[in-house]
Amino acid sequence: MASEFELSRNITIGQHVPTGSFIHRLDPRIKLLVFTILVIAIALNTSYVGNALGLLLSIYLFWASKIPVSYGLSGIKPAIPFIIILAVLQLIFQGNVFSGGKVFFEYGFILITSESIRLVIVSAVRFVEIILLSSVLTLSTSTTELTHSIQSLLSPLKKIKFPVHELSLIITIAIRFVPTFAIEMEKMMKAQASRGADFGSGEWWRIIQRTKDMLPIIIPLFNIALSRAEDLILAMESRCYTPGNDRSSYSVYRAIGRDYLVLIIGLLFSALLLFYRFPY
Amino acid sequence: MKSSLSVRNIVIAGVLGAVAILLGVTRLGYIPVPTAAGNATIMHIPAIIGGIMQGPVVGAIVGVIFGVSSFLNATVPLFKDPLVAILPRLFIGVAAWLVYVGIRRKSEYLAIGTAAFLGTLTNTVLVLTMAVVRGYMGAEVAWTVAITSGIPEAIVGTIVTLAVVLAWKQIGKGKKSKISEDL
Repeated sequence: MASEFELSRNITIGQHVPTGSFIHRLDPRIKLLVFTILVIAIALNTSYVGNALGLLLSIYLFWASKIPVSYGLSGIKPAIPFIIILAVLQLIFQGNVFSGGKVFFEYGFILITSESIRLVIVSAVRFVEIILLSSVLTLSTSTTELTHSIQSLLSPLKKIKFPVHELSLIITIAIRFVPTFAIEMEKMMKAQASRGADFGSGEWWRIIQRTKDMLPIIIPLFNIALSRAEDLILAMESRCYTPGNDRSSYSVYRAIGRDYLVLIIGLLFSALLLFYRFPY
Repeated sequence: MKSSLSVRNIVIAGVLGAVAILLGVTRLGYIPVPTAAGNATIMHIPAIIGGIMQGPVVGAIVGVIFGVSSFLNATVPLFKDPLVAILPRLFIGVAAWLVYVGIRRKSEYLAIGTAAFLGTLTNTVLVLTMAVVRGYMGAEVAWTVAITSGIPEAIVGTIVTLAVVLAWKQIGKGKKSKISEDL
């Protein structure tokens, strides 16, 4: 029972597994850029061969980052039932929407074509690829590195008055406050439970009941968040924080040869996925 | 150069983003409705609140934070697609702000409630449209999801937003920082 309230234990955000591998030592800006482009390329590719290549690449990157396999699998394991159910649903109902290609099976409204089979397989493989890639990125890069690299990657946008520094500050504040709010929420859940409130023990089909149970947690959570925000605003203003001023930073990233090499390979690979017409 | 974001905008966007991430990682933000999309969600509520309280820019930023965190935490292939998980979420806070500003003159309560309701519908409609466009579900399935999870989402969203924003207006009366509106 008590274990249900240990929210802070489930929070893996900002989890960082330092193995000192090649990927860990890459310039975080390059890593983030290549990751973003690769994910977009994978999301837009619908061919078997393209996704097989993507899968091979993401497995290779995972292996190269020397992160224990269990970390990658922990993301995939709870998803397996969803993947299977969704795949079956897609297979049964999608034939009419994606009716191109050869018809394999037809009965009433069920229509299975080569296009709908392609859709099911490609979206499952794509899912695994993106899980592997995003766990490589988040497990090999600390959150500080990530926010710094977001800031420096977006810095050209300063020219059109896009608030780059502010955006990275917002992300930093958000990540910083997640564990704090988790602790607050644990306290509230324990306080409510000690008064006899009931969370999550209702049956899953009693949706309205379960939703109502959450309201006494969620509304105070927002209020605590907003009153903490007032404190932080006061603290920042009394230290004369001015948005929009130029700032120097403590750590400066410098890309070297291998970073550029990775960038070029990543770009070429994404271009291949995006623009080459794979036969299958 | 004067920036468009004040300290107040920055902090509130950050804090609401934290709430969105927290609701996602603890799974408290999911209402277990058995549909093809997995679950109904209440994680878009911070984006609506951000839009109503601090305007469209904050609403859009909180929406992006929610989108990225739902993209990274997703357990269904549908939300591992950045075009479904991130792009539509930009517009939740913006839509809520537009509705709120449009009705505010007539009645504050009505404005907040309608903004929350339509903000939620923006999320549902845009996400499902992207899902259909990207081929994760057919139009019939999308309609079922819209009805089974969209409507509970909209109702819960309206209740929570009304409670939070009205309570915040009370907190706001005793606002600690006296200068943040002048900066």
